[in-house]
Amino acid sequence: MKYGGLIVVALSLLTGIGVFALFSWSIGINPYYVIESILTTFIFPGIVKDFLILSLLGYALLIAFKGSLWNIGAEGQMHMAIIASVYVTLILFFTTEKSLPIHVSIGVVLLSIVLATIAGALWGGLAGAIKAYTGVDEVPVTLILNYIAYFIGNILVYGPFRGKYVWGYVRTDLLPAPYKLSISVKKTITGDPIVDTLNGYLVEAIIYSSWITALIIVAIFTYWLFNKSSLGLKIKILGSNPDYLVTLGVNVKKTTVTAFMLSGAIAGLTGALYYHGALWRLEYPLEYQTMGYGYLAILVTWLSMLDMKFIPISAYIVSALIMGSQRVSSLPVVREAFAVIGLGGAEIAFRLLMFGSVLLSYSILRFIQDYEIRVVKS
Amino acid sequence: MIPVDLLIDKILPAFITFYLVSLGHSIFEKSGILNLAIDGIFFAATGAAILGAYLLLPIIPYPPIAGSVLAVLVSILLGLFMSTVLTFLPISHGAVGLSLQFFSYGVGIILGYSVRMRYGTVYQIAYTREDVLELLVISIVIGLTLHVLIEKTKLGVAIRAVGENPHSASALGVKVMHIRIIAAIIGFALMGLGASLFILSWQRTWDFRQYSQGYGWLAFATALAAGRHPIMLIPVSLLFGGLASTQTDISASLKVPTDVAKLIPFLAALILMLVYSSTGLRKIFASPSSLGKPYYKEEKSI
Amino acid sequence: MTSPLLSITGINKSFPGGVIALDDVSMEFYPGEVTAILGENGAGKSTLVKILYGIYSPDKGDIFFQGKRIVIGSPIDAIKKGIVMVSQIPQLIDRLTVAENLSLSLTSVGLFESMKNVRRVFKEISDKIGIKINPDAKVWSLNYTQKQLVEIARAVLLDAKVLILDEALTYLPVEERRKFYVYLQRFKEEGRSIVLITHKIPEALEISDRIYILRRGKVVGSLVRENATLEQIRELMFGEAAKLITYERFSNPYEIQVGEPIIQVENLVVEGEYGEIAVNKVSFKARAGEIIGIAGIVGNGQRELLEALVGLRRIRSGRVIIDGVDVSNKGVGVIREKGVGFIPDQPLRYAVSAENTIVENIAALFSRQQVVINWSSMIEITNKLIKEYSIYPPNPNIHVKLLSGGNIMKVVVSRELEYATRALLAYNPTRGLDEATATFVRKKIKEKAVGDKVSIVFASEDLDEVLQLSDAVFVMNRGVLYGPFDPVSTPRSKIEELMVM
Ligand SMILES: Nc1ncnc2c1ncn2[C@@H]1O[C@H](COP(=O)(O)OP(=O)(O)OP(=O)(O)O)[C@@H](O)[C@H]1O
Ligand SMILES: [Mg+2]
Repeated sequence: MKYGGLIVVALSLLTGIGVFALFSWSIGINPYYVIESILTTFIFPGIVKDFLILSLLGYALLIAFKGSLWNIGAEGQMHMAIIASVYVTLILFFTTEKSLPIHVSIGVVLLSIVLATIAGALWGGLAGAIKAYTGVDEVPVTLILNYIAYFIGNILVYGPFRGKYVWGYVRTDLLPAPYKLSISVKKTITGDPIVDTLNGYLVEAIIYSSWITALIIVAIFTYWLFNKSSLGLKIKILGSNPDYLVTLGVNVKKTTVTAFMLSGAIAGLTGALYYHGALWRLEYPLEYQTMGYGYLAILVTWLSMLDMKFIPISAYIVSALIMGSQRVSSLPVVREAFAVIGLGGAEIAFRLLMFGSVLLSYSILRFIQDYEIRVVKS
Repeated sequence: MIPVDLLIDKILPAFITFYLVSLGHSIFEKSGILNLAIDGIFFAATGAAILGAYLLLPIIPYPPIAGSVLAVLVSILLGLFMSTVLTFLPISHGAVGLSLQFFSYGVGIILGYSVRMRYGTVYQIAYTREDVLELLVISIVIGLTLHVLIEKTKLGVAIRAVGENPHSASALGVKVMHIRIIAAIIGFALMGLGASLFILSWQRTWDFRQYSQGYGWLAFATALAAGRHPIMLIPVSLLFGGLASTQTDISASLKVPTDVAKLIPFLAALILMLVYSSTGLRKIFASPSSLGKPYYKEEKSI
Repeated sequence: MTSPLLSITGINKSFPGGVIALDDVSMEFYPGEVTAILGENGAGKSTLVKILYGIYSPDKGDIFFQGKRIVIGSPIDAIKKGIVMVSQIPQLIDRLTVAENLSLSLTSVGLFESMKNVRRVFKEISDKIGIKINPDAKVWSLNYTQKQLVEIARAVLLDAKVLILDEALTYLPVEERRKFYVYLQRFKEEGRSIVLITHKIPEALEISDRIYILRRGKVVGSLVRENATLEQIRELMFGEAAKLITYERFSNPYEIQVGEPIIQVENLVVEGEYGEIAVNKVSFKARAGEIIGIAGIVGNGQRELLEALVGLRRIRSGRVIIDGVDVSNKGVGVIREKGVGFIPDQPLRYAVSAENTIVENIAALFSRQQVVINWSSMIEITNKLIKEYSIYPPNPNIHVKLLSGGNIMKVVVSRELEYATRALLAYNPTRGLDEATATFVRKKIKEKAVGDKVSIVFASEDLDEVLQLSDAVFVMNRGVLYGPFDPVSTPRSKIEELMVM
């Protein structure tokens, strides 16, 4: 079955949505609206932004996960990177000009991206070094480093990074226009849904063209790493039998740190791109600004079953469900039904249930793909 | 000197919460299943706790206990689902755990919301100060008992065995599914109990937005920082619980920003872990070898 | 005529990827008999006994126990019926102690019981079958053979009615083997049944009453001992290749030609897992083209010595010099870089990554220092090795975990032999290989030494192998190295004496 994989993906998703629709129906919501609303989100241009960020982070985590290095610290690595970018753009090279000579803009943005990538790599490498040289489990370390990154950011935003033009808000200044990476385009509405949708995707693609470029580079790099390079092979073996690496005379500690640094570097790059392309400023408290992309990326990577090809697919599914569940939970029928059962105002529960249950059935049913199911005679 | 009020109203309840939740998490993960649903199930149990305090009152006349009982039941139910499905099918622990986390957030809101709207505060259904001291003793006793159970008895050996290598364990004659179910029941009962105390003894307020506060993750970090060891969990939970429950007091008395105060427990945990690693405890603390690895029963085994 | 205790009819088993491991296999196992299942590597022996023990379930076919059709859904079902297996690859759990591992199988031990009783019964059984292992030792500190001994003790403890031994006796130390044979005799007399898998055909002929021969998943021969001959069995197992099997000493016209010393070991002291002295003041030289064989009973420091030589284990004092450079405690990387091949004691654990493909396992060694892997040349090497060593299935992109035990060993041995340009350090280099392949590998080793002037140091628990292959024989006993002895002129009894003294 050539498209077997994709068929399983589609079927398990549809099953999840179906199950959820049944549940909605049981609490008095017409399942038609729910299904329609979810399905249309899958062809909604608004999810492109989340899709790109989650794919990038998905690859970042994939590199570590292949080595059984459970880096759950993309969030922190991303934030440390953004802090570096903020330092470059708002402290070192802050400007109030509306435009600068193009080489200056490019220079500053490049510097910011490079430093951010390095910051991400170092923050990831720190976790890797702790794992490699002291043997402490990387899961709590990366989790703790996430919080530490938040609080460092918060302290900075409260103090030295606090902007001059913020009217009392605890936040940084806005990223100066010459450093913005997103290209602004005017959207024209024709009224024809197909044309508008295609047009919408095109517009998003133009706005986030720098992210798309980065995603392509990162995907190619990841492919190269795991299919061509000896480092990638070492990381894979690290993930399945580190004892073998030792027997080979490969430096396991170095491999661990390198894998973590690569992972952190891509997370850092993503942080810088997100800052330059969409975020544009840091706001206190940091915990609530990035929608937990770093954590959602863990879900994306695991949903891919560590298969490169499935990173964008699972990123797409997760982005569609984030937005889809949001749309569904604000449908009037849902609000009415929630009011009837005494949960008026808590529609977010519907959203979380939907997001969780669809992904749950998706991750459970995916096993069909890899394993021949055998009927065992009894 | 720590004021007694602070101790009994905040530090001890926080300690008990962290200790029970991280203890439960540790026991469960020793059976080899990665528990990334912890934060979600934690929150679902808090919702169940305030619902139970009213709903079960006809059967259990003391509200906080009624609340804890329902929290335990809901937590066990969600945990059993995760444990059985991951033992039965070779699928990603991470994906299932995180999806279940979101699902459980939703469950928690549904369970707690209407009670909260109807009754407002939690004070009248909370545990009393005397209860807190009793709970303290009970949790320590549970912890010590579980330590003996894990280290000395065959059940403990079986739990560790399926966490180390479910294939070998099965070849040796262990029923992997049974053992993981037992570990899930013990583990999630404790996590549910701890979560109920979070609401009924420490916070004494419940709001559906609490789902994003991540206390479950703090307990997760506590468990791993102490190497999932029932005894080592005591000081680490005290550290985490103590610092997490007194952030505002610390930042006020030391005159540092709250974010610095919030930073302290994490730095402390990190340093603590580094210190352990340089001692002989390192080997004891290692994670179960098969933690988070999908369990293929047949063709995929060597 | 008695009826069989256990029998199977028409068993089929195929694996994903199209491998037909068993094809319409029927066998009968009688009470009071030893039944041997023989066959080359990958013939399907382990698959068959895993079905009997409930690890795999058959695609087709029936199992009868005491005349009744049964379904063995899991190892527990098997244990309950009295069917117990000692696996080819020890199934013990490393981080648990010996007693803890055993307790898991014992239904008599309650869930809340401690290990006290287990320790006691283990001691009793150990005395009975002659095993000297501390029940409180963690399993990771044991070596391969010791693990198998523990598994044997477990089978005895479980009071097996049908005892399945998948290559478990091959490396049993002399004394243990003697005691165990006595035990097996009694076992048979009690009307129990033994299923034996081994690659030592003479041994099989000696102790079994009935012999089945498997080839590519099919039963190609079913013999009773009285009318079976060695030649006939080998012929059925290997076909043409049977003729090549030999245990003759490789004639050695090269003695004069051995060259400069490659490995020099001076006063080496190495610690074991628990800080005890495992290798005690060992000195020797291995010259280019020379094969040094170390005989000895398992657990006398051979493993520690080899691990120290390759840099895996810290050297407490003394020196190791390779190619004139002091490499003591310089790490594995430095030593391997000099062209040193290494076959460890537990190859499945330390010398392959089961989740990766054959070619990846090979590339990991050969492309260690490159940035980019030249896959086409890696595939070339792999295909060459697959062909030369007849690795089955012959697919470089198959995951190692899907190979049979012997075929995994072939991957390891062929790779290390190919890699060794200056020296080869090996522990039981033919463990788990069938006779034809083992002969081939020994020949390869000899060729390597003679042709490529590689210096070879190997330890083996199989004295025949040591005598067949070595130019100089040493004996290792309690960490002390005795020798060198001349393999031709030294009486075998003298070497055996040194091994057990
Ligand atoms: N889990 C598995 N998945 C796919 N193929 C397998 C699996 N286990 C075994 N095989 C294949 O089945 C065949 C028989 O393997 P088996 O382990 O039974 O051989 P064996 O006779 O025990 O050989 P050896 O003497 O090398 O141990 C081999 O070709 C092997 O590659
Ligand atoms: Mg075999």
